[in-house]
Amino acid sequence: MENGIEHIEAYFGKEVSAEESRRFEQAILEDPAFAEEVAFYLSAKQAARDLAEVEKKERFLQLYRQEAPSRPVRTMARAGWVAIAAVVFGALLFSWYLYQKPAAPGKLANRYIEQHWQTLGVSMSSREDSIQTGLRLYNEGKWPEALKQFEIMIRSGNTGPAIKKYAGIVTLRLKDYDKALLYFKQLAAYPLYANPGLFYQALTLMERNQSGDSENAKQLLQQIVKNDLEEKETALEWLRKL
Amino acid sequence: MNSVKTLLHTMDRTLTAGLLQGGIHKRRAEEQLFTSYAYFIKEGIKKYSLQEEDAFDAYSDSVLSAIEKITNGSFESRSSLKTYLYQIFHNKCVDLLRKKTTNKYSVHKTLSIKESLFDISDAARSVIQRLVDKSDWAALRQKLDVLGDNCRKALLLWADGHSDQEIATFIDYKTAAVAKTSRIRCLEKLRQLYKAP
Repeated sequence: MENGIEHIEAYFGKEVSAEESRRFEQAILEDPAFAEEVAFYLSAKQAARDLAEVEKKERFLQLYRQEAPSRPVRTMARAGWVAIAAVVFGALLFSWYLYQKPAAPGKLANRYIEQHWQTLGVSMSSREDSIQTGLRLYNEGKWPEALKQFEIMIRSGNTGPAIKKYAGIVTLRLKDYDKALLYFKQLAAYPLYANPGLFYQALTLMERNQSGDSENAKQLLQQIVKNDLEEKETALEWLRKL
Repeated sequence: MNSVKTLLHTMDRTLTAGLLQGGIHKRRAEEQLFTSYAYFIKEGIKKYSLQEEDAFDAYSDSVLSAIEKITNGSFESRSSLKTYLYQIFHNKCVDLLRKKTTNKYSVHKTLSIKESLFDISDAARSVIQRLVDKSDWAALRQKLDVLGDNCRKALLLWADGHSDQEIATFIDYKTAAVAKTSRIRCLEKLRQLYKAP
């Protein structure tokens, strides 16, 4: 007989015959241990799904904080379209002008940092854990204290990617580039759904802008584009400008 | 006017296709859906006099609900995605105003598990429902958090509807079969942790 969980999964995945399905439901009625196993399977899936949704909401919160909310798509009067066309034309002219000479890596990095890391998303829940304390300190401009908070967590065995990310960001803001690179390298090693570790390394190199940094940053950006990694669009834009 | 409609229609198709495609495409489509109509949050604040965090919660829950409906095939494209999402958002705002949504986790949970039990016979369903109702959700979530990074990730991806092939790609397992075996081991490990005294 196949593994219990596989058996349950086959039933809910509708991969069993009508007869097997009937036996499965009969077993639920006659075998309390089996019924418990089925209930656990469904509860575990739901609990994991709840957590996945919490993570998605955290991601949404970051997006909401990072970007001004998108403007509604509304039916526009002709004047609206004319205004848009004028803006687009102006933007094209401006991009053409910018395209003539490469942008300084430090400027690009700075702009990104100012746009994305002025504040870091703090959970809206009333519960404050150690990460939230670190983020709050960061948002209050107390960067050394924030870093201390994150490093205490790392030393006490919290090796999650979020800590490495935040520790790297604060270290970068404090201009300790070598240490920031170390944290972002550690972040890049996590098998995450979406891992910005490589991009943050490129960003740090661009911000440091010492001899050879720009070339190394370009290589990392190319790697991001090639492998379709997190921040691919920004990497593409920077590669065009560098 | 027509061009705006065409634009919205194309956007809907792109978003829906991305959500159904799975993997990294799904993630990008989720984020795009969220940002496309994030201005609803402001409407929630203005029109329903909600606090920003409540309006954000209502909107992000609406996006999650729409994603679920699209991926499980319940969204039939009878209206535009924007209209559909706004309807969900409006209902959530009204619920918030009436203070009906006191425990979002349990409301959602009941609905989702009921969906899983849709095809099961009445007698078996009531046995399972009774057992599920006894679950200690906080303990389950806490045990998921101590499972280890890969296990936790694999189970979250699975519960979020990703295939074993996608899980293999995200977590760098060699094949979908390896991802499946690992995921099932993780579930067994979770069960042992949960049942341990």
